[in-house]
Amino acid sequence: MSRRHSVNRPPTPDVQDDDDDRAKEPTLVEIVNIKLIESGEKERLMELVRERLVECGWKDEMRALCRAFIKKNGRDNVTVDDLVRAITPKGRASIPDSVKAELLQKIRTFLVSVAY
Amino acid sequence: MSMPKENDMSSDFEQLSFDVFRDLLDSIIVDVASESHRIARLGLDRNLDKEEEELRLSAEARARASDPSQSGEANAKYVVDIFGQTHPPVASEIFNCMNCGRSIMAGRFAPHLEKCMGKGRKARPRTTRSTTAAQNRS
Repeated sequence: MSRRHSVNRPPTPDVQDDDDDRAKEPTLVEIVNIKLIESGEKERLMELVRERLVECGWKDEMRALCRAFIKKNGRDNVTVDDLVRAITPKGRASIPDSVKAELLQKIRTFLVSVAY
Repeated sequence: MSMPKENDMSSDFEQLSFDVFRDLLDSIIVDVASESHRIARLGLDRNLDKEEEELRLSAEARARASDPSQSGEANAKYVVDIFGQTHPPVASEIFNCMNCGRSIMAGRFAPHLEKCMGKGRKARPRTTRSTTAAQNRS
């Protein structure tokens, strides 16, 4: 019986797209991401989002979805990717507006601070 | 996550913010999925199978019901000593208070004494010569 790998990550995002247009120039998103990580802001934002999502019960909802999925498909037949694919649509949709607004505000502030 | 090329060049902060937010959210979703996956695969989630859970709960209930050291009042706080005796958390022997002569339950004796020796009527301050003297002084 062939064993499915627990985590099947797709290959890291292809850089070929950029090579087509410009030589190795980092995209805006990549630059922003680097700045986020370097300044520690990404870590802070992640912690904030995690905290908010626990408070509002979103995490519990997602874990319940995962449990249901696992129960349905069998504990040993489920991969992390399966779960991610299963809960992402609902996960994205059920973010409370207040949490989303708060985060977007903070991100925008950060972008402004690094852009000028 | 692929994006149309226009967005790479766009200085639209809104779209950029949204993309960053999406990215954060996706990371967190992966975290949650990974955590649930781990718990399920390691068998740490005892409630995963409903029938299993129901069997376990009914077995526990049956064990509790047939436990001889069970008494009506307290919950399962009985400690069994080396002789196999159990002592209920509240001492339940009844005797007569040597101060006021009432029949008191042993477990309630200390608070009873507190009030019994400290008052005739009032809750605590016992009027003696010294307390009345102190009152008259102030």
